[in-house]
Formats: sequence, structure tokens, C-alpha cells
Amino acid sequence: MTRTTQITILVVLLALLSLFYQGLWGDPRHIPPVLVGTQAPIFQGPDVESGEPLSSEQFKGKVILVNFWASWCQECKVEHEDLLRLHEEFKDHPEFVMLGINYQDEVPKARAYLKQYGSSFPHMRDVKGALAIDFGVYGVPETFVIDQQGVIRHKWIGPIVGDVYTNLTKNILTPLLKGTEPTT
Amino acid sequence: MIIEIGHFSVVIALVLSAFGIVSSFLALQTRNVDWVRVGRIALTLIFILLSIGMGSLIYSFLVRDFSVHYVAATSNSQLPLFYTVAAVWGGHEGSLLLWVFILSAFSTIAVWLHWRTQPAIMPYLIGMECLIIMGFLLLILFLSSPFDRLIPTPADGKDLNPLLQDPAMVMHPPMLYMGYVGFSIPFSFAMAALFSGRLGEEWIKVTQRWTIFAWLCLTTGILMGGYWAYYELGWGGYWGWDPVENASFMPWLVGTAFLHSVMVQEKRKMFKVWNLFLIIVTFSLSLIGTFLVRSGVLTSVHTFATDPERGLYILIFVATVIGIAFGALILRAHKLKSQVEMDSMVSRESVFLFNNLFFLVAAATVFLGTLYPLMVETWQGSKVTVGPPYYNTVFMPVALGLLFMMGVGPYIPWRKASQASIKKNFLVPLAVGLVSTTVLFALGIHSVFALAGTFVVGFAGAAIAIDFGKISALYSRRESSSLLKGAFSAFTSNQRRYSGILTHVGVLVLVVGIIASTVYQTEKVVSLKVGDEFVIDEYRMKLERIHEVRGKNWSAQEGVFEVYEGDHLLTKLRPQKRVYDASQTPTTESAIYAKNMGHIFLTMPDVSPEGVAVARGVINPLILWVWGGGGIMGLGVLLNIFRPRKKDE
Amino acid sequence: MSRLLPMIILLCFAFPIEGLAKTVDETEIDERVREIAKHLRCTVCQTENIWESGAPLAHQMRDVVRERVTLGHSNEDILIYFHSRYGDYIMMEPPKHGFNWLIWLGPFLLLLGGGVLLAREIKGWVTRTPAPPTEVLPPLDEESRRRIEQELQP
Repeated sequence: MTRTTQITILVVLLALLSLFYQGLWGDPRHIPPVLVGTQAPIFQGPDVESGEPLSSEQFKGKVILVNFWASWCQECKVEHEDLLRLHEEFKDHPEFVMLGINYQDEVPKARAYLKQYGSSFPHMRDVKGALAIDFGVYGVPETFVIDQQGVIRHKWIGPIVGDVYTNLTKNILTPLLKGTEPTT
Repeated sequence: MIIEIGHFSVVIALVLSAFGIVSSFLALQTRNVDWVRVGRIALTLIFILLSIGMGSLIYSFLVRDFSVHYVAATSNSQLPLFYTVAAVWGGHEGSLLLWVFILSAFSTIAVWLHWRTQPAIMPYLIGMECLIIMGFLLLILFLSSPFDRLIPTPADGKDLNPLLQDPAMVMHPPMLYMGYVGFSIPFSFAMAALFSGRLGEEWIKVTQRWTIFAWLCLTTGILMGGYWAYYELGWGGYWGWDPVENASFMPWLVGTAFLHSVMVQEKRKMFKVWNLFLIIVTFSLSLIGTFLVRSGVLTSVHTFATDPERGLYILIFVATVIGIAFGALILRAHKLKSQVEMDSMVSRESVFLFNNLFFLVAAATVFLGTLYPLMVETWQGSKVTVGPPYYNTVFMPVALGLLFMMGVGPYIPWRKASQASIKKNFLVPLAVGLVSTTVLFALGIHSVFALAGTFVVGFAGAAIAIDFGKISALYSRRESSSLLKGAFSAFTSNQRRYSGILTHVGVLVLVVGIIASTVYQTEKVVSLKVGDEFVIDEYRMKLERIHEVRGKNWSAQEGVFEVYEGDHLLTKLRPQKRVYDASQTPTTESAIYAKNMGHIFLTMPDVSPEGVAVARGVINPLILWVWGGGGIMGLGVLLNIFRPRKKDE
Repeated sequence: MSRLLPMIILLCFAFPIEGLAKTVDETEIDERVREIAKHLRCTVCQTENIWESGAPLAHQMRDVVRERVTLGHSNEDILIYFHSRYGDYIMMEPPKHGFNWLIWLGPFLLLLGGGVLLAREIKGWVTRTPAPPTEVLPPLDEESRRRIEQELQP
């Protein structure tokens, strides 16, 4: 066995080891969101509770926080309280709108869910799941922030709790509402 | 109480495995045979204790003791008894226990079997096997114990994943693990050879049957998995290049290379380092496969609850074993300078080397394809998919190259092939290959894959047929018996060779099945009401009725389809859309009718409340050849294992 | 008659009459949906395309594909739409550009490089091996030659 062969084997093994090691800590939530920085799709659908039609057009020019959720989703229950808190924190700002989008769900179940866990902002029904696909959603919960110009500025896969909450409110929503650049 | 006995046994087994390692060290240090004897006892006890552990877990499943966390998580009171056994290895914890249990069984058998003839190997064998056993037992006891209790005890358990409630799943995991673990015996012998410096052909001769047995188990396991995917997942395909499938295919590819390459060392005493390298890679890939499947590095998005700690432990353990193996190889390899004598570029030896190259590149392709998404994710921060289209483009040419060599290799003599012999042996096969391809092309088939595949199959098939035909004729003439009897005598005269050739025939049959069922597959999806019918190829399927059916732990909507060929009623197919009670998981159960070695495959993925059914019909020509070929391969291997021993073996 | 028949079939489709059994078939749209769906990955499954997958998301994606096919979008446009939403991940194979060439060409380069190296190595061995002594032997009859050859083959 030549020296070159020995070194090649070692290098390959070490590369594999480092790949596997880094792979272990890779967070599956970090999917590069291809949509961030692009114009948000226009979307509409019935309100979960009232059945009245809702459309993204009516919130034009505002900062919109869009949260995809479903009654069958465990992670959504985890973040629900924080979402209500977030709404409470920003609801008085005239340029802030929060919108839930109910995904792959049945109306009675979704209504019961909102009744049980509380609801302070409107929720739109994604009737055929087409809306979620328009947003490139993989599953629930996923959260998007759209700025005044209608550009998607942020996406998060997973519940909005703890550090994620702080990051979202301090570094993204607050600057956007002030008209400055968000820090990431 | 019973589960605690099992738990306790496994703890003792862990202690004994550590002891086994120590005793092996002492045996080598002191050169005292008693330490080896003690090691043997330890290993045997480990096997007995793990049997108790396994037994206690199976018992807990059978009596449905839902106070055991693992039992409650993977079974419930309505689960049929047969599948309850499958549930034992239906989850992470139980499958690891099964792994180590089989490992302990194999190593105990190996130690007792080779005790008398291979005394010098024993301390290494015991030490290495105990190290691997200890690694797995630590993982089981500290990070994924199937023996934990659940407090409070639930009234009923959850359910075994409905997809796993299937006869094939009872046998598929044990078979696969027997394959993985079986390779650990030649691996340990190779390690012993490296450490002790006894680098002759001894270890290869001794482990030849182990290798081929492990290969048989792995092959069977993979084919069973394919069959399960075929009828259970409901899309009519048997191989999806899924990471889990790939994890079993990689050790198979390198193991097959090893199986061939050892023949060179046996005959010509060459390539010693190479063979050590191959068996180390084979077993390493078995371990890496376990790591990939069990650590969650390759899981999809939205599996939030991955446990990096468990993965990290498996990584450390796998890296240790692989590190020791390759370290020994690198440090010891200079002692292994074997005299390479090659008389010609065109010889059996060099074909074997090229065969190895192709097998390794095939394995590297699968490896790269499986790990590429992980590489892109960790190094570039983006995500890609490497799916079947990739493998069809990149893996297939390599596989066809391998098949071509299968036609060449056995008919090229050792040392040197004269031009005349090449002409004599390959002219006709080449012609057969070309003619069959031309005929196919003239028939209007223009798929490159099908044409190239046909050429290779025609070539290799003809080479095999001509050679065996000649020899059979020779024997029948010599014994003045019938050709069939001559073939039999020819086969038994050199059973080792011809059982291998039989396995090759199985491969060819399998490849024909794969080509026919992928290239000539027809598929149709329609929506229809009761009374409607649809036509697919020459068959007409009429939906006669849809009714409710009830199983032990599921209920289903069953569509009854009358299948006509012309006006003749062939059969009635009954695909189901099932919902399992406990988990409320829906599955589609396929209905299959076999005709002309092919399948009429029908599923009913959906029924709307208005009674409109979605039906999916697939015609898979010659698909039975896939598993028939697998069966012939298996038969070849069995005839090899149970061949009468010659004096020099 | 030959002209009338398609008309009748068409009419059957246009006015489905309750209770009347009919022969159903795939439409051109169905075939195109399948063709496109086989190129798109079900994002919540293990390497499965949305045609084969039973996941709800795959179902919805198929519906979106169908809707767009019905609206007259080309296959290419539909694939581009999905790519714009999900990135490379949604395609069943890595697009052939940049770093991805590594896995598209890697295996073939490995085969080529390995082949060349191996051939060279073997050539080296062959030249270093002394030629076997050539002995003059009496010619063999065909039968014994065959037998010897066969015995030599392992």
C-alpha cells in the first residue's frame, strides 16, 4: 500500500466523519426559503369563523404576519399562546396585520380549536391547499412576514417560541414597522 | 416482572462483553489458553442472556403488557398475533436488540465451529465480536431501551405502523440483519489476520461459507423488501432508491465484489490487501447504513423530534470500529506485499479486477447519491433531491457494464487468454447479443436502456448456455447417457463453479424482469362509478360493486373489479382502501392477478362520498421474473453452500 | 358511423346520465398530470414523487398540477412554477449545474480514472512477470483438450 493510498483513505474517512457529525446537528427547519425576497403571492379564502371572504388585497401596504396552522398539528398548540402574545404586542400598530391560515383541516375542528385555545386575529381557510403550495409550505407550523411593499422578508419553519419569538419580534417586525431594515 | 428479567440479562451481557474484550487482551498478553476459554464462555453466555432478553420482550408483546413503553408504542390489543411478532422489531429499540441478538448468535456459532481448527484466531475473533456487541448494548441500554416501563400503564397500546402489518415484514428485518451481521464474521477473521500477521489464504477459506451465507441473507432481505414495497405501498414499483433501501444495497454491492475477489487470492495468492480492504468496506457500510437509518441524519423535513445524542453515540461507535479496522490495515499493510504475477492483460485475474472496479463504482454511485443531499445541506446550506431519475441515468450504465463482465469473466482462462480462445468463446455470444438487440429495435423498441440491456443479457446468456451445453454434451457422450444426465454430471463435477454460474443465470432472469416491467409497464388512472369499466392493454376492468369489509383491526372499502380478456372473465380483483382502527391511518391494499409471468396490478386509492372510485391499473409484464430470478440466485447459493467438500477445502 | 361514434362518446361525457354504465378512459390531461407529477418530489416524504405518494400534500400538489394543465399551462411552465416555490428540492433529480455536476459526472470519472489506473497497474505487473517457460508438447486431441480446459476452470 503506497503512502498516497493511505493518505487518501484517511482523508476520505475524516471527510465522512465530519460530514456525519455536522449532519447530526443540522436543523431540518433551516430550509433555504426560495421565496424570501420575492413578491408575496396574492391569496384569498373564506374566514374560518365567519365564512366571510378574506383577501390579501385588503391588507395591502401593511406588514403582514402569516401563520400556517392546523388543528391536528401538535407543534401549533405549542406556539399558539405565543402567537396570541405577539398579536397583543403589536396589534395597536396601524401598519401591522396578523393572519392565520388554516391548512388541510376541517371547518368544525378548526373552529373548535380556535374556541379552545383562543383567537384574536382573523384566520383564512386554505380550501384546497393551493394557497400553501403558493407559499412553498412544507407543513405546519410555518410563519411568513410580508413587508409594506408586499415582499416576503422572513420565513420560519416550526413553532414561534423562545428565541425564535424574540428574534422575530425584535429583529424583524420592530424594524420593519419602523421602516428600517430588519437584522437577521 | 418478566421484562425486568430480560433487562437484567442484557445488563449482565453488557458486563460480559466488556469482560470478553479484556480476556482476549489477556489471552494475547499471557499466551494462556485459559483466557481464550473464558472468553468463549463469556460469548456463549452473552448469547444465552440476549436470548433471554429477546424472549422476555417477545413474551411481553404476546401477553400485551402495555406497561412496557416499547410494547405500548408499537402494538395494541387488536393487533393480530402474527404481526405482533413483527412488532417486536417494528420500532427502533427492538430492531437494535434483534441486531445484537443475531450478532451474538453468529459469533457464538463461529467460535464453537472454528475452535479446533483456528485456535490462533480465537482471541481476536472473540475480542472483535465482543467490542461490536458492547457497542450495541451500550446504545440499547442507555439511549434506546425497549425494556423501560411506562407509568401510568395505558389501557391499550398505540399501533404498529399499518404498512408494517404484513407477512413480509415479519421476515424482512431479520433477514437483512443476518446479512449485515453475517459479514462481521469474515470481517473479524480479517482483523485477526491483520493483527496476528497470519496473512495467508487461511481466513478466506475458513470464512468462504460465512461470506456467501451472509450474502444470501442480504440478497433475500433486499428482495423481500422490494416485494413488500411492490404490493404494500401501492404504486406498483419495487425499488425507489430510498435512503433506507440504499443503505442495504451498498454493503451488498461491495460484499459481492469481495465474494468474487477472494477467488483470485485462493487460486493465485494475490491481492491480499485488496481483499482485506473489501471486507472492511463491506462491514463498514453495514455499520454506516445502520447509522444513517437509525440516527435521523437522512430524515425528511418536519421530523422535529430528532435526537442528535443518539445519533452522536452511534457515530462515535461506528467511527471507532471503522477507525480500528482501517488503522490496522494502513499500519499493517506493508507486511502484506504479495507477489503479483500477471501473465497477460487479458486473463481471468484482470477481469476480476475490473469486476471489482465496477462494483466499487456502483457502490460509490449509490453512496454519493444517498449522501449528496446531506453534503449540499451541510456545506452549501441548500436542499436537493436525488431520486430515481438520477440513478436511472448514472447507475444503469455501470450496472450494464457489470452484467457484460458477467458474460466474459467465467469464460476467460486464468493467467492468459489466447486470441483463439477469445474468438471461440465470445464470437457466438456477441452475435446473439447483437441479433436480439436488432430484433428488438426492429420491433419498434427504442429505449436505450432496454436495447443495451437486451444486448448484455443476450451476450451473457449465450456465453453461459454455450459453455454449459458443451460440457453437458461432453459428459453425456462420455457416460453415454442423456443430455440431461450429462448436464447433471457436469454440474456435480464442479459444483462450486456451476452453482456460481446458476446464480449468474438468476441475475440475468432478474434483469429481464426489471427491464420488461419498467420499460413495458402500462399504467392508467381513472375515476369510475359502479357499473363503469376501463380498458388497459388487452384487459377490461369493470367495477362491479363497492362494499364495506371488516378485518380484525381495520375496516375497508373494497372495490370488486371483474377483469375480462375479450369476453372471457379472467378473475375478480378486490383492491381495498383500509383504515386501521387504532391509528386511523389509511392504506391502499393492492389486488394482483398473475398472468404470463406478469401482473395485473390494481389499487383503489380513493372513494368519494358520492361513490366515485379512483382506480389505478398497472400491467407489469414479466415482473415475476424479478423474484423468480432472485429465487434462482438463492438456489445457486444454497447449492454452493451445501456442496460436497473437496479434499483441499 | 365511424364519424358518429366519437361524437356519441363525447356526448356521453358531456351529459353523464345517472345510472348508465360507461367505459371511462384517461384524458390527455390525466396523462400530462402523471407525466409532470412524476418529476416533482413529495416534500414531506422520503424521496417519493407526488404521483406515487399518498400524502395529503402530494394529493394537493397533483390538484394544483391538474388545475394548471386545464388552464393551458405548458409542462415546462408548471415545473418552473413549483421550482419557484420550493427550489431545487422539489425536483426529483438535482439540476445539472454548478456543484451538482459532481454527482452527475463523478461516477463516470471514477470509472474512467479507475479503469486507466488499473490498466496501467496490470500492464506493469505483466511486464514484471517473467514469461512462463515454453515447452514443446505433443498436440492434443480435441476431447482431451476440452477435458483439461474444463478441469482447469474452477
